[in-house]
Amino acid sequence: MNGFHAVFSIASSSPLRRLSPWAVGLFAASLLSNVPFAHCRDFGTARGSSPTLVSSPVTLHFVTWKADHPRVWDEAIQRFEQVHPHIHIKREIAPHSSTAYHDLLTQKLRNRDGSLDLFFMDVIWPAEFATAGWALPLDDYFLPSEREKFLPATIASGMYRHHIYGVPSRIDGGMLYYRKALLEKYGFSPPSTWHELVHQAQAILEGERTTNPLLRGYSGQFKQYEGLVCDMLEFVGSHNGSFLTDDGRRSNLTAPESLQAVQFVREQIIQRLATPAALTYQESESLAVFLQGNAVFHRNWPYAWGLANDPQYSKIVGKVGVTTLPRFSEGKSTAALGGWLYGISAYSRHPAEAWTFIEFMASPEMQKHFAVHASLAPSRLALYADPEVLHANPQYKDLLSVFQTAQPRPRTPVYPIVSHVLQRYFSRVLAFPETDIREEAQEADRKINRFLALLRDL
Amino acid sequence: MAFPALTFVAVFSLYPAMDSFLLSLYSDFPGPERSFVGFGHYAELLHDPVAHQAFIVTLGFVLLSTTLELLMGTGIALVVHERFRGRGWVRAAVLIPWAIPTVVASQMWRFLLNDQYGAINAILFGDRVNAYVPWLADPWTAFGAVVLADVWKTSSFTGLLVLAGLQVIPEETYDAARVDGATAWQRFRHVTLPLLKPALLTALLFRTIDAFRVFDLVFVMTQGGPGDATQVIQFYGYKTLFTEGRVGYGTTISVTVFVAMAILSLFYVRTVGSKVLQREPA
Repeated sequence: MNGFHAVFSIASSSPLRRLSPWAVGLFAASLLSNVPFAHCRDFGTARGSSPTLVSSPVTLHFVTWKADHPRVWDEAIQRFEQVHPHIHIKREIAPHSSTAYHDLLTQKLRNRDGSLDLFFMDVIWPAEFATAGWALPLDDYFLPSEREKFLPATIASGMYRHHIYGVPSRIDGGMLYYRKALLEKYGFSPPSTWHELVHQAQAILEGERTTNPLLRGYSGQFKQYEGLVCDMLEFVGSHNGSFLTDDGRRSNLTAPESLQAVQFVREQIIQRLATPAALTYQESESLAVFLQGNAVFHRNWPYAWGLANDPQYSKIVGKVGVTTLPRFSEGKSTAALGGWLYGISAYSRHPAEAWTFIEFMASPEMQKHFAVHASLAPSRLALYADPEVLHANPQYKDLLSVFQTAQPRPRTPVYPIVSHVLQRYFSRVLAFPETDIREEAQEADRKINRFLALLRDL
Repeated sequence: MAFPALTFVAVFSLYPAMDSFLLSLYSDFPGPERSFVGFGHYAELLHDPVAHQAFIVTLGFVLLSTTLELLMGTGIALVVHERFRGRGWVRAAVLIPWAIPTVVASQMWRFLLNDQYGAINAILFGDRVNAYVPWLADPWTAFGAVVLADVWKTSSFTGLLVLAGLQVIPEETYDAARVDGATAWQRFRHVTLPLLKPALLTALLFRTIDAFRVFDLVFVMTQGGPGDATQVIQFYGYKTLFTEGRVGYGTTISVTVFVAMAILSLFYVRTVGSKVLQREPA
């Protein structure tokens, strides 16, 4: 269902035909500006030309995604407009899926759409947006004294080459949900290693075969899409592997640690615990399996907690536990870092007002609002000691360490390309069990290295 | 008189096509200054294993879906050509799949094929929930599912074209054949089929070209997965151009598909078109 609206608007004609007006616009723009692609704008000028904060009404155009909890967002924006009556927020709802949202947003930015003021950036985009000159650097707005109050990983994700481009709206990290009651029934405590998880899941599957033949050991996101990269990062990372070398200059997929982790996923997770059906699952499908009571373990982001304990969606209310993801015996637990940053378009005519909005939405009060009503994990450290936040999300207390150590995906302006190569690699080795993992990894390595090399002269 | 039409074509077809071609001659990286790379991207395309795979998947899709659609379409046309009570209703009903927007139909097939609540598993396996198949998880069944969805959706369109062809066959030819003692099969084989050829070829032309451009089915049903098993060339082009932002290489893929289809269309118009025209006066 995610991306349905996007599909509707963009898939109605062939890509070839859709390209044309776009290509024309792009070409025309490049003729006019003489700086075709990565147009690094002097943001000082942009700010100078913006109207100062007087009460002449301003409408800000905010391209956002379809939220999991729309009412919570409606309320937040209403509150903003009450406090700042001269600023009106006009939302354009883009697809829920990160990639579809990225495609729509970057198309607007490539066309230098001056009517676009505010957007969200997935944590994997700031490098790309900064290099292309799409995101306004926020160094003069988002001061270091303020940044200190946020979780360091979220600030790092908004930085590229010593400038900051985004304000973290929340933090996401992969975590392990489990069926507390089921584990207790079999005398297990939550697994700390992957092998333990496999062992526990198999014992429970064995025992529950007659009561629930649909029960699976594990449910995660293994469809060929961005989420696959996150899930695999966690397996590879917890086996001391990594996608890129430490200096970020070369692909590291053929390292034995990475290869072994991938093989483990193929043989133990997909073929034994999750069933190949997981190769079609994004977050919502895999969560549905868990909420129906058909999975022992489930990997997801923090938002799943609220839904798992909501009787309207869940059959396992109150029987769910959440903990850090397991590790391999020789590695350490790794959670993929996710989350969304508020950004201002470099082409916005109202950056000052846009900043007023961001400042409001990222304030402690509003983050608390989102944490309590939508279980979105705050990006502000202080809120992890807030009684109201902890009352609504008791699990945060134990999971703060997950957020503090969450592992980012590669930070590079060519991330979309790197991601596609990784998705193809992982999806191929998981979907074709006879493929040679090393050969596939070598092919992926070669392609990633080629693009990383192109950037070096940048 | 030709001037407005030519201007229209020039502005809305020729210029964008030429512009795309020009874009395909420039580098994507690094950075702000794009440099002229000539046919570099085209050389890259020749050695791109992902593109090769996408081309093979597309070709397989085109061959399989067009063949099945022609067969199904002819069957549909023969049935609704017969006189029976409620024929008007049946004819309208046959067109429903074609009238549904592809995106909606793709979404529907995705639900039907779901491994847990999909109707197809329920019909095939009933209560034996352990036998349920995750159709879109296996590379081969996922490919088959995309073909099936396309056949379901566009068979009625080929049916419509073939029906038009059937209706221009004069009833007297059948009468003459009957007088000569031809069986039903012989009438079909020696009267209907030869006279239907122009309609069949027209349907073939439309379907091949359309199938080459398949995008939305894949976008909604599989996103090209698993393991690029359903990644058709247009989807690869889309990903390259719109997600990766590689304008040069992305347009190279688009231009290549464009040229391939132009050649195919020319071939069809030359060979098939002349045949269609020859038959017309009959």
